[in-house]
Amino acid sequence: MASIDFNGTTVELNPEGFLANPAIWTEELAAVLARQEEGIENLGEQHWAVIRFIRQHWLEHDSAPMVRSICKTVGVPLKTVYELFPSGPAKGACKLAGLPKPDGCV
Amino acid sequence: MTVPAPAALESRIAALTDADLARGFDAFRSKLSAAEVSYLGACVRCGLCAESCHYFKASPELENVPARKLDHVAAAFRRHATTAGRLLPGLVGARSFDREMVRAWVDAVFGRCSLCGRCSINCTVGIALPRVFRAARAALASMGLVPDDLQATVDNSLAHGNNMAITKADWVETVQWLEEELQAETGDPEARIPLDKKGAKYLFTVNPREPKFFPLSLQASAKVFWAAKEDWTLSSDPGWDLTNYGLFSCNDEQAGAITRNLVDAMERLECETLVIGECGHGYGAARWEGPEWLRGSYPFPVRSVLELMDEYLATGRIAVDPSRNPKAVTLHDPCNLVRHGGVREPQRRVLRRAASTFVEMAPHGEESFCCGGGGGQLAMAAYKDRRIASGGVKAKQIRETGAPVVVAPCHNCIDQLMELNKEYKLGVQIRTVAEVLADAIVPGPREEGGACPRP
Repeated sequence: MASIDFNGTTVELNPEGFLANPAIWTEELAAVLARQEEGIENLGEQHWAVIRFIRQHWLEHDSAPMVRSICKTVGVPLKTVYELFPSGPAKGACKLAGLPKPDGCV
Repeated sequence: MTVPAPAALESRIAALTDADLARGFDAFRSKLSAAEVSYLGACVRCGLCAESCHYFKASPELENVPARKLDHVAAAFRRHATTAGRLLPGLVGARSFDREMVRAWVDAVFGRCSLCGRCSINCTVGIALPRVFRAARAALASMGLVPDDLQATVDNSLAHGNNMAITKADWVETVQWLEEELQAETGDPEARIPLDKKGAKYLFTVNPREPKFFPLSLQASAKVFWAAKEDWTLSSDPGWDLTNYGLFSCNDEQAGAITRNLVDAMERLECETLVIGECGHGYGAARWEGPEWLRGSYPFPVRSVLELMDEYLATGRIAVDPSRNPKAVTLHDPCNLVRHGGVREPQRRVLRRAASTFVEMAPHGEESFCCGGGGGQLAMAAYKDRRIASGGVKAKQIRETGAPVVVAPCHNCIDQLMELNKEYKLGVQIRTVAEVLADAIVPGPREEGGACPRP
């Protein structure tokens, strides 16, 4: 099991860098994950809007939202989503929003 | 020698009773054809398979040699299914099918094999190793030992009709959105992405990853159909998802139930031909394995969308300008599509016409190396480090082409290639064949009175 250091405590990640326990997610932790797992030094306003929407969607529906839903609700073009999260909506954005890794070809 | 299994599996292995083990071994035997039984005694230990395997090339250790993986499976067969093995197990290298052996099987056939089959075509005596390993996976499946994340993908398909549990409302909304995007892109307000068009010639199927996270490939396929004025449709109900992870979990009953979605959609919509989108395992599952699982041939043909794209270009039904794809492209051959599936040339002909420069990897075609993500590896988090390491072989191949664009007609491969791109800092763009072709499309013979600027 991989792990990262977060404020002096050890946070466990699955082998693919997703939180082992999605319930412990905080925005502060997201920023650490962004730096250490995705190489994103600073999360901007658009990053946060996408991350918060995905997190909320997961809490309400127990699933990651469609990328269509991300674009429509957050008000960002599809192209921007891929630019904001180079690893893509699943392995990038969903990971930073503290979701478990989505099933399927991802 | 004890090989650790993923934690969730380990507790289940520890709890296996002798009856469970007997049932598992029976399941193994029941999946073996006469030819596969003979393969279990056919290995001559020449060692040629070692260098054929991307796991071994990346990490040259004994457990990564295909013959060694085969021996774990064959040793148990010798012990319980041959006279010599029963009487003199030590003399013939027979080993009991016990918990330790189950761990070895899990590690060999789930943890170190993508069922790519490259060892098989390089085997001195032609052993079909993937067939034997699939039988071993089936035995593990019968004992509830499929890694949870792989099984979850199968369960999604069984419960929701697609492997990402996308709702019908979400699927339909995304298709409608993409139709609007297609109209904006083509400037044609009549451009359509048809849903549930009864009697359409082609029922087109996609990977749920497209509508969920990467819809540009679906839009590109739709643009190709639009340019060809094709008579096609998608299904709004189950039967739109081409994937079938039952091919990897090796539970044939579940695999058959997933295939049934496609057959039902074909009947419901009365289409002529089932068209499988750009996907390796989906093509293999639908085209070759599905009739086996359902124990009967389909009343309709199955084709890869790559074959249609190739035909559109060969017959002049769509016209392209390759200068619209000025960067050199190289091509990855998905194992299930090319080595196992037999679809090798259509995608090459399309890229040669649609891109300015096409560069082959070395080796390619039937001898292509697996990207490392096949056989369900992409879904099994426990083996992630091995997956990335074994993908180093493909990463090296890509780098050596010097091409800045890598085309892969498979969404599973694409996801793995995206990770390899990040891990090995390749700096390449990864695309589907349809995305390259769609970019090259120019107004052609379909426009009344318009000239056709064919290259």
